[in-house]
Amino acid sequence: MTSRRNMLKSAVLAGGAGIVGATALGSLGAEAAFGATSPQVEPGTPDPDFAEGRIRSIKGNTLLVLGSNMVFHNIRVVDGTSLWKLGPVGFEQAQPGDGLYARGVRMPDGVLAAESVWLNIVNIKGHIRNITSDKLHLDHNGKEILCHVVPGRSVAVHSDAPASADLSSLRVSQHVQILGAWRPGTNEVDIATVFSPH
Amino acid sequence: MQGIAALQPYVIAAFLIWAAVLKLFTRRMRSQAGRTALARLVGTARAIPTLRLIGLAELLVAAVLFLPPVSPWEGTAAAALSTGFLAYLAYSSLAAPTSSCGCLGTHSQPVNWRAFARAGLLLAMSVTAISARPFHPSTPLLLLGLAEALALLGLSPELDRHWLIPLRRLSVRLRKPLAVRPSRDVPLEASLRVLYLSPAYCTASARLTSDVQDVWDEDGVRFASYAAGHRTAVFAIPLSGDDPRTVRVALVEEPTPA
Repeated sequence: MTSRRNMLKSAVLAGGAGIVGATALGSLGAEAAFGATSPQVEPGTPDPDFAEGRIRSIKGNTLLVLGSNMVFHNIRVVDGTSLWKLGPVGFEQAQPGDGLYARGVRMPDGVLAAESVWLNIVNIKGHIRNITSDKLHLDHNGKEILCHVVPGRSVAVHSDAPASADLSSLRVSQHVQILGAWRPGTNEVDIATVFSPH
Repeated sequence: MQGIAALQPYVIAAFLIWAAVLKLFTRRMRSQAGRTALARLVGTARAIPTLRLIGLAELLVAAVLFLPPVSPWEGTAAAALSTGFLAYLAYSSLAAPTSSCGCLGTHSQPVNWRAFARAGLLLAMSVTAISARPFHPSTPLLLLGLAEALALLGLSPELDRHWLIPLRRLSVRLRKPLAVRPSRDVPLEASLRVLYLSPAYCTASARLTSDVQDVWDEDGVRFASYAAGHRTAVFAIPLSGDDPRTVRVALVEEPTPA
């Protein structure tokens, strides 16, 4: 892991071996942005390279997931798969009961080889009903969602200002959008980012 | 007990007059009538006339309660109206659980336990008022009347912005529940916000096929690696400062796993 990190570090800072594209400005150039082709999906049909649902069981490196449309998915997690659960995490953090969204490549045997897995990720809008110690009580369509501030993790983005670990300028009754990780089986969420319009 | 019963018509009447005035004379109430559960019950087109009719009924009941002579059927009429409120609340919480009740002016909160408690209290007061005799004021009775009125107002979410929200804001200002603890650690999400706004990320994002694979800090720089097809995209994000133009990117042939 360390040698790989060193190799990547030297590539981005010093232009080491194996580099395909990098410039002094720090960007790849306009052609790079449009160079990649995105996969074509017929409108109205499900994207075969995407899956969502809740983890029923975990066998080896494969997650058995029941989708909300009652379709089962086998999702294989490999070394290069990114897993998110309030931040990048290891495979051991995936638990039965977790909700997930996964994107990857569908294998001929029907298994989705995942490139990215987001566990319990939620994106909710609402009004702050109350603020108590390290918690926002969010009113989401009349239902209360308890949003926990996680020290060192949670940030607030006010309008176009840079993200800040300081959430103290949030006010009762203001509108917010919260990106976070749901605690399965509860109405509670750990906050990754709070977006505030002002 | 007799005094308590005699007091009720006046508290109920005051509350009904307030509710009726809001229904009959506020423009905002009429403009938002279509969003209440009432619109679901009678149809959007008939919501405003129905609202006016209810307002008139409230005004009528309030008038007979307020004006002498006192007779048992006045309390019965108020009880019938309160029962109607309860039935309507039960309907709206079942049929239109996301709509507001439109009881006392506009607000966006759906029917909840407070609305039921308010209608229940009104019903209990109305039933008590059936056995009312002419009212002879005394200090304890006036205090009780005030307490009942405050309870009715406190159970009205329509008024929260006048007292509950300022109270909570004051409490937050005094207790500072989200005060930051001093820390030199930069949360990953803060670095990722800088990354997302950077020209480096904008040019590389179309090639990225995964979310963050690995992230580590070294020499004041946060490195984040992403899969980009068969290659790896690695970004260098300075930990100090938030200028997105300082972010650098390199696209590297995927190294053989160590």
